[in-house]
Amino acid sequence: MLKVTCGLVGRLMRRIAWATGTMLIAGVALPVQAETLTIALSSSVNTLDPTQAQVVGTDVSVAAHLYSSLVARNADSKLVGVLAEKWYPEGDSTWVFDLKAGVTFADGEPLDASVVKWNIDRIRNPETKSRNRAWFDPVSGVEVVSPTQIKIHTKGAYPTLPDQLSMIFFLSPKWMESHNPANEVYGTGEFKLKEFVAGDRLVLVRNEAYKGAASPFDSVVFKIVPEPAARVAAISTGEADLAFDIPLEEVERLKGGGKTNAGWVASSRSMVVRMNTAKPPFSDNVKLRQAVNYAIDKQAIVDGLLGGLGTVSNCQIMTPAYFGYNADLKPYPYDPEKAKQLIAESGLVSGTQIELQVPMGRYFMASEISQVVAAQLQEVGLDAVIREYDFSSWVQPYSRGEMGAMSLMGQAWPTLDADGQLGLYASQNPTAYFKNADYDAALKAGRATNDPKDRLVHYKQATEIMCREAPVIFLFAQPFTYATSARIEWKARGDDWIRAADVVLK
Amino acid sequence: MRVSSKFGSIAGIIGVSLIVLLIAVALFGPLLGLASPTANNLMARLAPPSFNTTKGLHLFGTDQLGRDVLSRTIHGARVTLTIGATAVLLGGAIGIVIGLVAGYYGRWVDAVLMRIVDVQLSIPLSLLALLVVGTIGPSLQNLIFVLALTSWVQYARVVRGQVLVVREREYIQSAHAIGLGDVRIIFQHILPNVLSAALVIATIELARVIILEAALSFLGLGVQPPSPSWGRMLAEGRSYMSSAPWIAIFPGAAIFITALSVNLTGDWLRDLLDPKVT
Repeated sequence: MLKVTCGLVGRLMRRIAWATGTMLIAGVALPVQAETLTIALSSSVNTLDPTQAQVVGTDVSVAAHLYSSLVARNADSKLVGVLAEKWYPEGDSTWVFDLKAGVTFADGEPLDASVVKWNIDRIRNPETKSRNRAWFDPVSGVEVVSPTQIKIHTKGAYPTLPDQLSMIFFLSPKWMESHNPANEVYGTGEFKLKEFVAGDRLVLVRNEAYKGAASPFDSVVFKIVPEPAARVAAISTGEADLAFDIPLEEVERLKGGGKTNAGWVASSRSMVVRMNTAKPPFSDNVKLRQAVNYAIDKQAIVDGLLGGLGTVSNCQIMTPAYFGYNADLKPYPYDPEKAKQLIAESGLVSGTQIELQVPMGRYFMASEISQVVAAQLQEVGLDAVIREYDFSSWVQPYSRGEMGAMSLMGQAWPTLDADGQLGLYASQNPTAYFKNADYDAALKAGRATNDPKDRLVHYKQATEIMCREAPVIFLFAQPFTYATSARIEWKARGDDWIRAADVVLK
Repeated sequence: MRVSSKFGSIAGIIGVSLIVLLIAVALFGPLLGLASPTANNLMARLAPPSFNTTKGLHLFGTDQLGRDVLSRTIHGARVTLTIGATAVLLGGAIGIVIGLVAGYYGRWVDAVLMRIVDVQLSIPLSLLALLVVGTIGPSLQNLIFVLALTSWVQYARVVRGQVLVVREREYIQSAHAIGLGDVRIIFQHILPNVLSAALVIATIELARVIILEAALSFLGLGVQPPSPSWGRMLAEGRSYMSSAPWIAIFPGAAIFITALSVNLTGDWLRDLLDPKVT
């Protein structure tokens, strides 16, 4: 029996050796062993339906493996073509996309301009109830010029349309007649779905029909691991190759391990303390709003609390990754004396209690940051009182426009464009808590043209106004931490996108 | 029997002395002149416990904001014990009265009150706490109110069961016979007989209430920072468990000692009050 097994194994080994040899000779660099990439996600994937996907870090990223978009943002935060060969504005109210020819679904159905139009029209149709419909509100029509060219007409300029299209994926109209994309997948992406266990894992395998550059991985597994300590353990034991939101204290340890690697990258999310400029004491009181900016030692928070992992915001809520970032602005220096002087000039009645709201379980180190902020505000004589809320009971009054005097929060916009991020403070937005006619005008001007140079001028102005008017305490860009196994390398990016294409097998 | 009762009294002595010690710490600890429990020092954060005084003496180490864990644990005793004791007393008072009334009057009074108990039990406690604090807002009083709200049903059910037994006894019958009023019978003749059971519940509830307070603090519904409470310290220390375990260990040990001492005392009291044992 033993002999037989040995013989079998021996024969098998020889055959493998022979097969490998011929492959090497033939110059085919096929991996002998099936390579699996395991990625630990910090929160659950909620839907497989790409028209309902909105959260970049989970649903949208997964959809990007299964489906194709016209364009994609790569790790250097540049837009690159996927289905689109090139794209350019035509006047101020049309975007032209030239499509690559020959992209097909598994059964040979081509993904051409008419399919793109069908998908965009489907999202725009109110009956689809797509959560992404609002992105197409400025779109007035889609025109198929030829199978490889499509024109998207917009009401006025829509400069961020290509960015937004990086989150739009294309379904097969024929397949959709008899299938539900919420449970099934049929796309033109690099991978296809093998298994989906809600709340636990997704198993993706290579899509043979995909014609782009072949991934070094035969399969990609997304594992849902919500607990940070469990993600650290998964990396340490080699159960996962890539994990995110690693506790800061663990980053150094995993970095030095030899078997693992870890690091951080400045994310696109800016941490701020919002002030409600519609309510006393911060309404009509620029001096007080500036005073609290002088009162906070941002660098000490980054160095002390975050162990240096983070970048102090230079008086704006955008990081250099954003289009419209203003490199000329300087952060408010830490100057408690100046803060005290401004508070005295602001006419604040002493003893006024200022509530600092803190939504829990959402933002990175919210509890620690808010306690330091409150303590520093107390040092300059303000009576800041922390009020912690669970996220849902905080967000409801917040979205109704009933935020307290101050609230800690993080803000990011997936297109990495000033239009979206600064638009959070445009006065027509119910959660702006800021009203400034010049600011609104600058944003409107920035949206009125597709010319990037022209737009930059307006955003420079808008960021200057926001810095001076200080509707927030500008804190820092939240660090995005990650850890990897030793066998891979990840092109770190801070915009929440997770793609197997950013992973290099060593 | 003798051995166990002797052991019972030793355990009782330990329990009572620990409680006395805890109360003493809560009352006089803050007068020891330790570092402020709320003063941040970002340069000295996550310092391990040591006798080294170069960075200031931190016997229990410092926490994630560089605050002295010893000082916070001692100040936390006051906050935690106040919350725990008040919530347990309040919940106990409500629960005992409802249990007495339900058990004594029986019939539809019992039916109505016990259905309320069932409804309360069918709602997950943490959800109830979230709902209530979410509606009325987080504060110390509201926290105590919510914790009491989650604990009264335990007393009500146990006390009712005891009352059902006690009310059939001869001395209650005779109390009826000599024309005593319901209130007097309930509070003078029935209550003392159900109190020992309630006391045991109270000892269990105290530990549970402290832990639930930790859970609420974790969601931002508990004691508001920077005030120290053991539950809050435990919740905050959780994310530093692998790098700075002392942040959670010391308040965790304090909760453990409190629960242990109260349980020992409770057992001892129960034996003391139970006529069958002596």
